[in-house]
Amino acid sequence: MSIITVEDLVKSYTTYKRGSGFKETLKSFFKREEIEIKAVDHISFQIKKGSICGILGPNGAGKSTTIKMLCGALYPTSGSIDVMGYSPAKDRMKYVQKIGAVFGQKSQLIWDIPPVDSFAMNKAIYGIEDAEYKRRLGEMAELFDIGEVMYKPTRVLSLGERMKCEFVMAMLHGPEIVFLDEPTIGLDVIAKAKIREVVSEMNRNGTTFILTTHDLEDVEQLAQEVIVINHGKKVFDDSLQNLKSTLGNKKIVSLSLAKAFNEEKLRSVLGDVPVIPGSNDHEILLEVDLDKQNIRDFLGSLNGIVDFKDISIKELPMETIITRIYSE
Amino acid sequence: MKYIKIYFACVKTAFAQAAAYRADFIMGSFITLLSNILFPLVTILIYANGAEFPGWNMWEVLLIQSIYSMSTGISSMLLSSVVWVTMDHIREGSFETVLLKPVSPLFFIISANFDVQSIGLFLGGVIMMVIAVVHTGIGSVLDILSFLLLFVAGIMVLCGMNLIMAAISFKWVGNSRIPEIFDSISTFGKYPLSIFPRTVQILSVIVIPVAVIGFFPASALLGRVDKEAFLALIPCVLFLCFGVWLYNKMIRLYEGVGG
Amino acid sequence: MKKLKHKFEECKAVAFVTYKEWSAYRTHSLVSVFVGPVYFIVQYFIWTAVYGDAGSLAGLELSETIRYFGASALIGYLTMDFADWNLQMLIRTGKFLTFTLRPMHHRFFALSQKLGHRVLGFFFEFLPCLLIFMLLFKVEILPDRMGWTFVSVALAFLMNFYVNYCLGMTAFFLVKANGIRVVYQLFAQIFSGALIPLNFFPKVLQSVMIFLPFQYTNYIPAMVWTGSESIGVLKLNVPQAVLAQAFATILMFVLSEVLYRCAMKRFTAVGA
Repeated sequence: MSIITVEDLVKSYTTYKRGSGFKETLKSFFKREEIEIKAVDHISFQIKKGSICGILGPNGAGKSTTIKMLCGALYPTSGSIDVMGYSPAKDRMKYVQKIGAVFGQKSQLIWDIPPVDSFAMNKAIYGIEDAEYKRRLGEMAELFDIGEVMYKPTRVLSLGERMKCEFVMAMLHGPEIVFLDEPTIGLDVIAKAKIREVVSEMNRNGTTFILTTHDLEDVEQLAQEVIVINHGKKVFDDSLQNLKSTLGNKKIVSLSLAKAFNEEKLRSVLGDVPVIPGSNDHEILLEVDLDKQNIRDFLGSLNGIVDFKDISIKELPMETIITRIYSE
Repeated sequence: MKYIKIYFACVKTAFAQAAAYRADFIMGSFITLLSNILFPLVTILIYANGAEFPGWNMWEVLLIQSIYSMSTGISSMLLSSVVWVTMDHIREGSFETVLLKPVSPLFFIISANFDVQSIGLFLGGVIMMVIAVVHTGIGSVLDILSFLLLFVAGIMVLCGMNLIMAAISFKWVGNSRIPEIFDSISTFGKYPLSIFPRTVQILSVIVIPVAVIGFFPASALLGRVDKEAFLALIPCVLFLCFGVWLYNKMIRLYEGVGG
Repeated sequence: MKKLKHKFEECKAVAFVTYKEWSAYRTHSLVSVFVGPVYFIVQYFIWTAVYGDAGSLAGLELSETIRYFGASALIGYLTMDFADWNLQMLIRTGKFLTFTLRPMHHRFFALSQKLGHRVLGFFFEFLPCLLIFMLLFKVEILPDRMGWTFVSVALAFLMNFYVNYCLGMTAFFLVKANGIRVVYQLFAQIFSGALIPLNFFPKVLQSVMIFLPFQYTNYIPAMVWTGSESIGVLKLNVPQAVLAQAFATILMFVLSEVLYRCAMKRFTAVGA
């Protein structure tokens, strides 16, 4: 059963071309050249109740605009959104009671006082009953391990601790859907892991999550469904499994060489593994398909032919994924 | 010599910055000017309603206030931002960056934060003064010289005030309202001294010599200053020295504790 | 009824949190306890000198004028806010978004914040200054007509809030909204009556002021406080003046509502 249904969603902005210099500015004062930007361009999708859906895309692709419309903070230019029977922007006051939202870069906590006081404020705003509030706060404090942290002033908390408290703040009223916009941005590995663990846990209890991110790892570890957006258009909408099989199980091996590399020699050994030149001729990136080749064997074979100083293994970058999806 | 070079280099940068954001700069100076020439309005309204400060006509009182604006303008250009900059550094815990520079910390803060915008305030004062002087006339050359002397002394008092406020902000962390204390005290310097009772007069000449900011120079220009007024030069110099000493002491304390 | 109770709970919670938030800075209010009395002393000497032997100036007696300045300062402590600055900041940084995601009108949120902030002002600015005026300076500062004064100050509290909230909302429409705020404050300084009772202004200007918001935030409540029977150019008595205030406040509320709707239309369309 789908909890969110989006049909033919469009969001376009009109901006004005602004000249620089006095004359141009004066001219634009009287006659402005309009430019229409389509941030979201005819997107439709459905999200199942109780799932975790990742919305992926490079910066400026329209992810944030989409999630803002889903939250009711923005009116769509055209098209329709139905979340639990509400039209978010139209029924905003009633609707936001039922949802939670965490915006990675926009804190809802109050800077100078402990998070627990901010929680108490939200208790009143959302009209949470005393008993329910106590139960949920106890539960979540344990889950996030913030039992002590939440009594310290927000300004002294680390970014990770603050983020955990943002999550609690957004979920105290027991929302059925929680929107996460870049929730792990700027966090260290341990904090990221904790956040992901808790999201999975809450999800098992029935909460639906929608998250936007450009961190592929977030999606890999959390999402069951993936929607990829680029230039305002939906380019992929399927399960994570299918995204993986589309892309293949690939890693990028990045090498820093001691000597400038000899492309011919590399080719002869690597065969059909794509070689991408790096930013200078002492750097190369190799794309390894793990379904075809064991990573250990691959590194072993490298050892003999190139003299490298440093090596790292990464996920495919977002841009590569987008181009790959297009070419499919 | 090195210090003078650095100072002028910094002032030049400040002007260049102001020129780069011309519209903001003009708007800013204009607002500074308007909001600071407001207080003569009260004087004008008092005289317009047929009342007066005993022994002073309107133009004479306005002369005091215009000179006050000029001194404030100059001292603000020189070091009004010291208070804000120190306050920010202490709150953010970034005062170390100042200590890293190979010059005296006080000197560095003063020169790096030349406040061009206060020129609006100074110019406003000048315009007002010219208008007032046209009506009051001025005394002899000697009077003008004593005016200049007292005017400089007044600027010294204001600079001393700024430094003391900045020094307080080392201890009273993050209190953006500290300058209000200083504004309120200096109000005593904006009106003819004779309207205040004897104790207040003595306090505002000797302890915190605010009377020297506007009142004494104006009286000098009108040729009605007593010789004793020049004794007030001593507290002015002492006041500035006290400001410098206090600020430097706070820096040393800060170094000791390390923030 | 239940809705009203919920509103009350919301207001209480937000006010309490704001109170707590600003408590960290309560020593800053001590500046007011120094500055307020100092300005009052200056006013006292200025006006004592100016009045000289004159019985009354601009229709006010010396004692009335002195009381006026005391009342004006005290009302300032009870009604000041920076809803304008705060809202402009929220809009500029995009943080306003987080408020559209909560089931509470932001204006009500901001008003509750102001309430909490002013409770702090009541204890750390208003009360100490009142006591200094009464006990140290021996000025008869307490209002004659307590009930009317209370209503009048409450209206000034709301009026000032709605005006500032409207100024804050200009940031939805303009990039350089800060300039508008500064210019408004400049005018407010002159025409609110905090600098000098409006009686001293030329009659024409006083008449124009009736149609502008400034005097309703300070001059009129301060005159009501002193118990004057002839307030402003219209020579209103106390109940009439309070009625005029109520009218102005309602008008301002309506304006803020209209502006808020326009702003929301724009915000939800552009997402500023």
